[in-house]
Amino acid sequence: MNIVLLGMNHKSAPLELRERLTIACGEEEQTVDHVKNLPQVKEALYLATCNRVEVLAAVDDPDSAVEQLKDFIVTHGNLPLDDMEACIYRYRDEEAVRHLFRVASSLDSMVMGEPQILGQVKDAYRASVERKATGVLLNRLLHHAFRVAKRVRTETGISSNAVSVGYTAVTLAKKIMGHLAGKTVLIVGAGEMAELVTRHLVKNGVESIIVANRTVENARTIAESFDGRVVGFESLPGAVGEADIIITSTGASGYVIDRGMIAGALRRRRNRLLFMIDIAVPRDIDPAAAAMDNVYLYNIDDLQSVVDENLQTRLVEAEQAGRIIEDEVENFERWRHSLAVVPAIVDLRQKVESITRREFDRCGGWMDTLNEEDRQNVEGLVNGIINKILHEPVTGLKEVCEDGGAEEYVAALRRLFGLEDDFRR
Amino acid sequence: MECCIFKTALVVYCISTAVFAVSMLAKRVALAKLAAAALGFAVLLHTVFILWHWAVSGISPVVNIYEALSFVAWAVSGSYLVFQAKTKTSVLGAFVSPPVLLLMIAASAGIAGPGEIDSSLETYWVTVHVIFTLTGTAFFALACCAALMYLVQDRLIRKRKVSDFIRLLPSLGDLDKINHVSVVWGFLLLTVGIVSGSFWARTAWGEHLLWDAKQVATLAAWVLCALLLHQRLAIGWKGKRAAYLSIGAFIILLFSFVGVNMFFPTVHRF
Repeated sequence: MNIVLLGMNHKSAPLELRERLTIACGEEEQTVDHVKNLPQVKEALYLATCNRVEVLAAVDDPDSAVEQLKDFIVTHGNLPLDDMEACIYRYRDEEAVRHLFRVASSLDSMVMGEPQILGQVKDAYRASVERKATGVLLNRLLHHAFRVAKRVRTETGISSNAVSVGYTAVTLAKKIMGHLAGKTVLIVGAGEMAELVTRHLVKNGVESIIVANRTVENARTIAESFDGRVVGFESLPGAVGEADIIITSTGASGYVIDRGMIAGALRRRRNRLLFMIDIAVPRDIDPAAAAMDNVYLYNIDDLQSVVDENLQTRLVEAEQAGRIIEDEVENFERWRHSLAVVPAIVDLRQKVESITRREFDRCGGWMDTLNEEDRQNVEGLVNGIINKILHEPVTGLKEVCEDGGAEEYVAALRRLFGLEDDFRR
Repeated sequence: MECCIFKTALVVYCISTAVFAVSMLAKRVALAKLAAAALGFAVLLHTVFILWHWAVSGISPVVNIYEALSFVAWAVSGSYLVFQAKTKTSVLGAFVSPPVLLLMIAASAGIAGPGEIDSSLETYWVTVHVIFTLTGTAFFALACCAALMYLVQDRLIRKRKVSDFIRLLPSLGDLDKINHVSVVWGFLLLTVGIVSGSFWARTAWGEHLLWDAKQVATLAAWVLCALLLHQRLAIGWKGKRAAYLSIGAFIILLFSFVGVNMFFPTVHRF
């Protein structure tokens, strides 16, 4: 059996195409059924995320299967053929295995190293299993892919650095305060980015939120979504003293928080560490505050440059991950090749057994003259000789096939022992 | 046999330090955990050695400068392990293990069987004085390590370039807490050490305070430490200033511990 994989991702196809396909395919379960019902397809898996649509299948005749799957995608998605040709990638066997491993390990993701994709692949696999669309090959392949993804995550730093502004803020806050449980965040100004960063912080344990805004109405909507409290600008100095993390994003032209306000707050908060993130342009917090003891000030450019640097690190880590994947692709391929000889070996054993049975039947009259013990001895002797003779060719065949090139040996075996199709009936 | 245990402990300390160094270079926390485990084993061996030594000598495990060095090394690594178990900051060990190793190497130069002891020193006051003062010093060493790490981490975060080291080093909050707790413990132990020493000085020489160089230096460190604790508790000093002050206190203590005997006449054998 062969493995084929067809699909498109954020690199190969524009968003509109992927969108149309995802919508047309609808529920994963249905699509799996459709693919499974194609005549060439033995096992199938369908993966759709916001950045990719892929069909993975175990097939007997890869050439015609690829055509069928492509036709399926084109007709199913109601897409113009010309557009599609360039957008769909097709992989076969080793390439397909490699691609799947890369996808599961998040090397093929838009944000390399993002952790969601592994969960999405697992979900897709679960859907396939539920529709009974997987078999020996895909089961083994997917489990292998999950293992590879885990190995990549633990052995490389590919997902260890923050690559979003929100997550970077969380990492920094943790490195400053130790933990975020019970900390207070002050949001000054009602910007979208500030809200996003706050959401990340809340997810990591921050408990109370204060929102300060010139117009109290806008502040109220944000405060409600975080279960926080609203203060007017006039009580900002007090709020600064209360907060551990301050995020500013007002449209003000001057500094909203100056050195004096921070110095006063520090006195009141007995120098508890203060982390300030200034997302606003022009800036809201006097940059001179960065030099103060126990105060850590980052602006949007600082955070962005951290993100950029981390993305660079991920590229380096991706190389190491690539080596792990090559390793594992080789392992899997060895197993898959050895799979090719299994039917031949089964046939060989069956044939030998049927010969033995026939020969014993032929000797029936003579065998009957023996007593029970002797008869068993004769049978044992014959079976022993057969097993000894078969042992070396069978293990040798398995070994040879692990390194590829199974077809020739299998063909030779079938030819030599007369295991052609007429035998299999 | 005793010597053999000591040497084995020394080797394990050495391995632990090396693994810590590799963990910092490779920036892998898992290695630091391994190194911490090795350190634990070394401390165990070291404890056996000290107890054995105590049992053989009968009076005190610490009667000369080499034994004192070895004892401080033991106290530093032992108290570090307790902190590590509580705060899960195994990376701190990378800063603690090199000085411990140096102490052990220095100690190995002269550590031998039971040393001779003056009859005037054969009293429990001395044992108490020595053990408490040295353990106190060990805590200050730990506070100093945490303070140094604090300063490094503070600088890294202020540089606004997130390197792998930021990720590797503990958070500022944790480091400040470790520093504070070490200083409190060091202060308490040192106080007991100083008081017991002065009582014994009274019985031996008739005066609590002899204006001995070592006494003066240690008292200076004690006053500095008292000042630090006061500032922390009264006006909430934190972070860098506390770090600098605890480093200062440790340097004075260190001078008092190993430097005084080289430059000044003193009644202290070490």
